[in-house]
Order: sequence, then C-alpha cells, then structure tokens
Amino acid sequence: MAATSTSPSSSSLSAEQDALKALTFQRLHPKTYLERFLSEDLRPDGREFDEWRDISVIVGSISTADGSALVRLGSTTVVCGVKAELAEPELDKPQDGFLVPNLDLPAICSPRFKPGPPTDEAQVLSDRLNEVLVASGIVPTSSLCIEPGKAVWVLYVDATCINYDGNAFDATLLAMVAALKNTRLPKATYYEDTKRTICSRKIMEPLPIGRLPTSFSFGIFDGTHILADPTSFEEPLLDTTISVVIDENGGLTSVMQLGLGIVGGDDVLEKCIEAAKECWRTSRNSIYGTS
Amino acid sequence: MAQSNFDRRRINGPDESYQPIFEADEDLETKWKPGSPRKGRTARDIRPIFLKAGLMNQANGSAYIETEKTKIACAVYGPRQSKTTVYNEKGRLNVEVKFAPFSCTKRRVPIRDAEDRSVAVQIQQALNAAVRLELLPKSTIDIFVTVIENDGIEGCVAAGSVAASVALADAGIEMLGLVAACSAAVVGKEIWMDPTDEEGRVASGSLVLAGMPALGTITSVWQTGLMSPDEAIQCMEACQECCAEIHAVMAQALLENAQNT
Repeated sequence: MAATSTSPSSSSLSAEQDALKALTFQRLHPKTYLERFLSEDLRPDGREFDEWRDISVIVGSISTADGSALVRLGSTTVVCGVKAELAEPELDKPQDGFLVPNLDLPAICSPRFKPGPPTDEAQVLSDRLNEVLVASGIVPTSSLCIEPGKAVWVLYVDATCINYDGNAFDATLLAMVAALKNTRLPKATYYEDTKRTICSRKIMEPLPIGRLPTSFSFGIFDGTHILADPTSFEEPLLDTTISVVIDENGGLTSVMQLGLGIVGGDDVLEKCIEAAKECWRTSRNSIYGTS
Repeated sequence: MAQSNFDRRRINGPDESYQPIFEADEDLETKWKPGSPRKGRTARDIRPIFLKAGLMNQANGSAYIETEKTKIACAVYGPRQSKTTVYNEKGRLNVEVKFAPFSCTKRRVPIRDAEDRSVAVQIQQALNAAVRLELLPKSTIDIFVTVIENDGIEGCVAAGSVAASVALADAGIEMLGLVAACSAAVVGKEIWMDPTDEEGRVASGSLVLAGMPALGTITSVWQTGLMSPDEAIQCMEACQECCAEIHAVMAQALLENAQNT
C-alpha cells in the first residue's frame, strides 16, 4: 500500500479496490482465505508457521495496584493488577492465604464480546489460569499467612483485556506472573489484644515467587498445519489448540490439548512441547529479564 | 455483602476481605493544610496529557489517554444496527464505563455500580450535542471506556470525554467539532484546575465543563458541592481556556495517527 500511494491516483484507486476485495473475501470465506495463504507457506500477517509475535512487558505502571503489568503480544493487550486485602483463613487451612485470578474480556476488546457478565470464553480462560497458577505454585499460599487461624493475605489478580487479537491465554498468564513478580506487600502485624491487623508502609516486601510459568499456545488448522501463537482471525478456524506451560527451569508445568491433535497421522503433542521449549530458550531472558 | 459478592461465573476468594489498615501517623506529613499553596504545580496548571489514537486494531476507532496517574482506554464500535426494533430517526450514543478492579484505592468488585453509570451519563451528555446523530438513523454507536487507573472522578469524566471524542473521530464518525473537557475545583479561596483525587477531597466544590473549542460552544457543565455563582463563572472561564489547549493536543494526536496509517 505504501508503495502505491505515491503513484498516480488511478492506480492507487485500483489498489484500494483490490484491498477492499481481499477484505470482502476474507470476511465471506475466512477458511479459503487462510488456506490460500498457508498453501504459500505464509500466514495472513506475514509470519512463518512457527513464528511468534513480538512480546513486550511493562511492570509497575499502576500506582493504585500493589503490583501491575501490561503485556502486549502482537496487538493483543492485557493489563493485570494485583490488589492485596486481608481476610480470615478457612477453618481447615488456618495457614493458607488466597490467590484469586480472574480474566475479564470486556466489550472494549473485540466486537465479538458484548457488555454484561463474563462470557463462556472468559470463564474458561479464568479457570485454566487458576489451574496453572495453583498447579505451578507460583506463590505458595502458606507464605501469605500473617497469623495462623486469624489473618491472611488475599491476592486478587485481576486481568483485563484491552485489545483482543488472539492467544489471550499466553498473554494473560504472562501478565499475571509479571504482576505477581512486581507485587510488594506492606509488613503486617496481627495484634492479639485488639484482634486487628495493622500494616506499615515503611517496610514493603516482595512476594516469595516459587516458579515462573510461561505458556506457549499452538493451533492446528485442518489437521495439516501447526500455527504458533494464533491471532483472533485464525482462532475460530482452528480444530485443535494446544497450550504448553513451561516453568523457569524448562520443566513442564501443564499441557492442555483441546481437540484431536493429529497432523498427517502422527501425534503432534511432542512436536509442540519441543517447539515450546525452543521458544522458551530464546525468549526467557527478554520476558522476565528486567524487574 | 458475602451474598452479593458471590458469582459462580468468576473465581471467588473468601466470603469477606477488607482493605489493609495502615498505621495512622504515616500519612500526616503529606496531607494538605488549609491556606498552604498547591503542591507540585500552580493553581491554574493542568496535568500533562499523553493522548494516542488508534492503538486498538479490533475497534473502529480508539484512543488512550493518560494524565499523570489517570489512565483511560476508549474504543468505539459502530455505527451498528440498533437492537431495538422501534424505528428511530436519530442514531443513539451508547456509553459504557468500566472501572478495572485495580483502578481505585479500594478494590472494585467487578460488578457494575452506580458510579460507572453516572460517569457514563456524563460522558454521553458531553458528546451527544457534538455527534451528527441525525445522519445515522436506526443505528447505535457503542463507546466503551475502561478506566485502568483512577485519580479523581472529575478528571476521569473529563479525560474520558476527551478520549471518547478522539476515538469517535478516529472511527470516522461525523461530528460538529471535537469535544474537549476540563475540570476545576474550589479549594479555599483559590480555583485549582484539573484536581487529583487527593485535591478533590479537600475541595469544597468542583465543576466539569465540556465544549467544542472550535465553535466556542459548551456541551455540558456539571457542578457539584459548594461554590458561589461568581466562583462557578470563574471556573467555567478557566475551564474554557484549558479546553482550547486540550483541543490542540487532541488535533495533534489525530494528525499523528492519520499520518502513520
């Protein structure tokens, strides 16, 4: 487009019309549109099949939160903030605090979502995130104890998607982990005589972060192609999604496969795990390097 | 409380939790005392504005605004067909405001409350007169505003209106002019422009003015609290001056976006 804009108006007009035709074709026949790209060994946004979009992480920009992170994965944007509150522990777990992760996909992020209560998609994603964060033990709940049986910390980890362009799971997990890593809690003391917990702003302590899970998602299109980091255009056309979660030592934390997962007769899970590890090796320093 | 907070569509924490209580003596030094001058800037200064249009590719138009701590994202979807079957000669502006749970000092439970709606109504009022709705029969324009960080509700309304107006322009929706908005507060005998949350709490009254500086018209004035008629007029005049400056920032942001695409 940039090249044609300098040429005479008639050719730029026809280029514009071609772009419009392509856009109409994409809308009406999304599957054929994607197939034609893939048959040329390229994806609609110009990436290779195994190529990832650029990741950027900004932490600590929200002062009202105890820890925060903004993650951009291509144009998918997720903001996550951690709010710490005090509560009484459960009777059967007197030493355990709470970690409450939630993802919101509001109407602002995509024309697909309508205002109102969380959609099915948001509920499923929140549940998967909860599973991964609890399973990986990123913040041991016992470390959130102030006084056994009396007072514990509750960490509300709320993520909001600002722009939804696919692969929200990877972006959100990254945002949540980065926000938790950024979180500083005030020193809290429980007083037996007044039965109250008083905090001090003078001493702020970081959370004891156990593991750093990072997720890598793949989509399988038409049982023939494995696409890394699918966009919002590709996502509805995929018949299988595989998410591989890797911790800071390169070990597996969780693997999720939705769908059949067969490409050309052989099982694809191992291939995806290998690709995820490879990607983790190249990107680990840039993602969590700072902060 | 516990009943209303329970929502099976979200991951739930404990039934009850409360904000940490801090030692009382720690906040005293930073508090403003009556008679002392404003901290950080002069009375007539507004906070620096960072404004960018077209950051979200999923929306028809979008804008992101940051005035120091206040951070707001806005997206416009539409014009799309109205859901109601009743024929309407004029289009409708639908504004929805959402505060992120971590946007305020106290965590906001993710359920729409009265404050969301009142901010939405004020933004809608500020914009309604500027958008040429008569050209869009049977349609609805959805304006979604997400407050990522809140530092004063007056500033939120003003920044939200500015962002929404830029997002509308970015979406290519016809307007009579760009709507700029600014807030002012009466503190003691002085008028402080664009108050923060902390300053808003020591103010006796506050005012938010929205208008189209290009046409020299006002689209909405919202005054709360206590101020004399003279002070209200002074506030409005000061706001109008600031709106002209904000208008230049908005035009610049739109120009930059248009040149980049």
